Amino acid sequence: MSVDTSGVDRETLLRPIHTRTSRYTIAVAAALVAIGVWLFFYYQQLEHGLIVTNLADWGSGGGVPWGLYIGAFIWWVGIAHGGIILSAAVRLLGMDTYQPVARIAELLTIAALSCAGLFILIHVGRPDRLVTSVLPAWPTRVQWSPLMWDVTVITAYFVLTGVYLLLTIRYDLHRLRAQLPDRLEPVYAALTVGYSEREDQVIERMVWWIAFAIIIMAPLLLHGGVIPWLFALLPSMAGWHGGVQGPSFLSIALTSAVSGIIIVAAAFRYAYGWEELIPDAVFRGLAKWLGFFSLLFVWLQLQQVITGIFAAPTTLQHATEVKIATPLYWVAIGLVILAMVYAFATALKPSLFSLPALVGLSIGVLVGTLVEKVLFVVEGLMHAHFDLYSGVPGAYTPSAVELSALVGAIGIVALFFLTVSKVIPVVELHAIEGDHGSSVDATTATAETSNTGGER
Amino acid sequence: MDDEEMRRLLEQSGYDADLGMRMAEDAQRVAAGELSETKFYGRYHEELLAEFGQDDREFNELRDDLDGEVVTEADDPDGLADRLASLADTEGLSRRELMAKGGAAAMALGVLAGSGGSATSVGGDSGGDDDDRTRWGMVINLNNCDGCLACMVACDQEHNLSRGSNWMYVFTYEDDYQEDDQNFLVRTCQHCTDSPCTKVCPVGARHTRDEDGLVLTDYDICIGCRYCEVSCPYGVNYFQWGEPDVPESEINDEHQIDSRGRWVGSRPPEGVMGKCTFCVDRQDGQMGEEKIGTTACEEACSMDAIHFGDMNDPESPPNQHLSAYFDDNENDRSEWENRSEHTVSSFKLLEERGTDPNVTFVGNEPSQHARQVEGPVTYESVGLVDNRKEVLDNGAMASAGGDDA
Repeated sequence: MSVDTSGVDRETLLRPIHTRTSRYTIAVAAALVAIGVWLFFYYQQLEHGLIVTNLADWGSGGGVPWGLYIGAFIWWVGIAHGGIILSAAVRLLGMDTYQPVARIAELLTIAALSCAGLFILIHVGRPDRLVTSVLPAWPTRVQWSPLMWDVTVITAYFVLTGVYLLLTIRYDLHRLRAQLPDRLEPVYAALTVGYSEREDQVIERMVWWIAFAIIIMAPLLLHGGVIPWLFALLPSMAGWHGGVQGPSFLSIALTSAVSGIIIVAAAFRYAYGWEELIPDAVFRGLAKWLGFFSLLFVWLQLQQVITGIFAAPTTLQHATEVKIATPLYWVAIGLVILAMVYAFATALKPSLFSLPALVGLSIGVLVGTLVEKVLFVVEGLMHAHFDLYSGVPGAYTPSAVELSALVGAIGIVALFFLTVSKVIPVVELHAIEGDHGSSVDATTATAETSNTGGER
Repeated sequence: MDDEEMRRLLEQSGYDADLGMRMAEDAQRVAAGELSETKFYGRYHEELLAEFGQDDREFNELRDDLDGEVVTEADDPDGLADRLASLADTEGLSRRELMAKGGAAAMALGVLAGSGGSATSVGGDSGGDDDDRTRWGMVINLNNCDGCLACMVACDQEHNLSRGSNWMYVFTYEDDYQEDDQNFLVRTCQHCTDSPCTKVCPVGARHTRDEDGLVLTDYDICIGCRYCEVSCPYGVNYFQWGEPDVPESEINDEHQIDSRGRWVGSRPPEGVMGKCTFCVDRQDGQMGEEKIGTTACEEACSMDAIHFGDMNDPESPPNQHLSAYFDDNENDRSEWENRSEHTVSSFKLLEERGTDPNVTFVGNEPSQHARQVEGPVTYESVGLVDNRKEVLDNGAMASAGGDDA
């Protein structure tokens, strides 16, 4: 283990559960205010319909029918990839360096996928029909509709991550039970129902396979698959087509996912004085990942721009020219490049590393990836192959109602972490005690060989 | 129609009237959920084979005779829907509920006839090569169009559309590659045989009606995700962003509910997608027999530009217009026999997108460099709105009351 957290005691691990500070109360209040602001605006949308957004019909209508809601949906699914990156690193590759932030990443996956679902809910014109229309149609429509593929894969990802979390948490709760608050006894009883220490070995093997399943499904089938296919398969819009969308979407997802983990982990470290539990080495490692994923991001953007402007079909060329003439696009790319340069610089010269700087740049990356995703959707819809309409390209800027949903979703994620951290340990007990993989044959070999690789 | 009348019709048909009566009763039980389709199928399969042999068509003859008239064009097992529904207890049921119930019974019969999927067929795989079936389509002669916008107004009124929701849209455009200053393009929904919108719909609300190829939206199922609008290369979809300009209380069910009992006609309700339906209410005979095979835009066109009809029927008005127009413009091939047969340009819009549209245009196709310009008659002067976003933006700013769109 390259990061020595063995000196950390259980009391430190359980600090979020045992403490209650005024800062915590303020944070909860702020999250509730953010959610309240969104609910206020969303009530208007429910009352008047989607007309309160700045969306409109493309074509003669002069607008775009998909906007910030869909852009934010993709963005949240991207952030949700943090869980799988970390659990794969720890469980499959034995990179125990990242053990302290693995559960935070998995919780972020649950929260981010919920927000992605929320954006679909508020995007549709008839949210009341999501169950009554979608469920009966599933058996036939899943054979055709890319949107139904998305619903299917995201649901599977959500369920697998939830199961992974529930299985791994039993070990911790059983051993920490004496130090956990009695008033939450029913919750712990439910989570550890039927637990015996004999199951540890079996559970460890089960979660290895679940992690293995997710590492194939989430990157390759979800963000490198059904999400870009929502766009890349359509015959209507010039800028969306092409096989590069899969890798490109995935690179953006991974970049934003690592940024998300850095921000949430740094927040916990700051709030609970966890310098020993989540040491600098974890963030230095995550910074290298951020740098590498940012490089892929920028490289795949380069692929699209070059193929789009050199000798592309006229409609694609036009869409690409507009894209690179959009200042906001360069803001997004610039924010990602900035993080990439910093990450590589700290790798070469470790004294340059500063956690506040990394967190600031990670926030910049999240802004950049959101901007890129919204531009992809909106500008994509502005440059149809059929552009005879004077209303094409249409116009769009998000309305207050739409922007408030972003604020509300961030509030939901914050409230989720504030609540969950009061109930379960957000850092695995394994991070400070014992080696989870030592008793499992299948993973030991992998863990040992890649442990050296994981050393940084 | 009561039981006795139905029996009389069945007896006239020359088939086993008892069998027909028992089947109709059981079909109602299927509709009511008292009997499974499988059991229904099993119960009558042998008897039907004995009575009719294996040919589905003969079964349809029974249907035709039940109707008391022969439905010639549509190979439509659902035509039975309202007949069966009328046998049901109508007390306290709206026409929509009644038709839905009848539709379920007809679907059960459809299973028997070997075409059970048709009533619920949901796009994507609907074949277009079956020449026996009706395939509604249009031939639009752009050379005849003078840009008067009468078709747009007629469509707007017939379907109670909200401002800016231009199911029918006439472009006036300039094109460096065409001689005239003003060229026209008349754009309806293309009712594509290989329609992207039906493929991508997650819930099967956007679907191709099997019996006649109409691409329709089931307003009762649509969740308003707008994926159909995003996938359509033509931009023919208009979402109902706010409250519709015309309230539902002012629209008859005859305009809204099709022969299968599905709500697909007239303007959509709030939160749901709408587009040109090729006047489905007319095609189902709900506006009168004389309106079958016509559309509101075609009727309003005084320039003989729009020709609606069955594209699979060589004698239909669109096909006749096309061949007559070709004949009138025959090429002189006396010297050069490899010349084309006629001098008329015709095209399908964005055919290279692979959608197999059912609208054929006579005239020149706009080039990549064509741009829309103000026409001889402006949209505003006939009471229409061109850029709908202006209406929607007003709605977005208005608090209460002014949020129609």
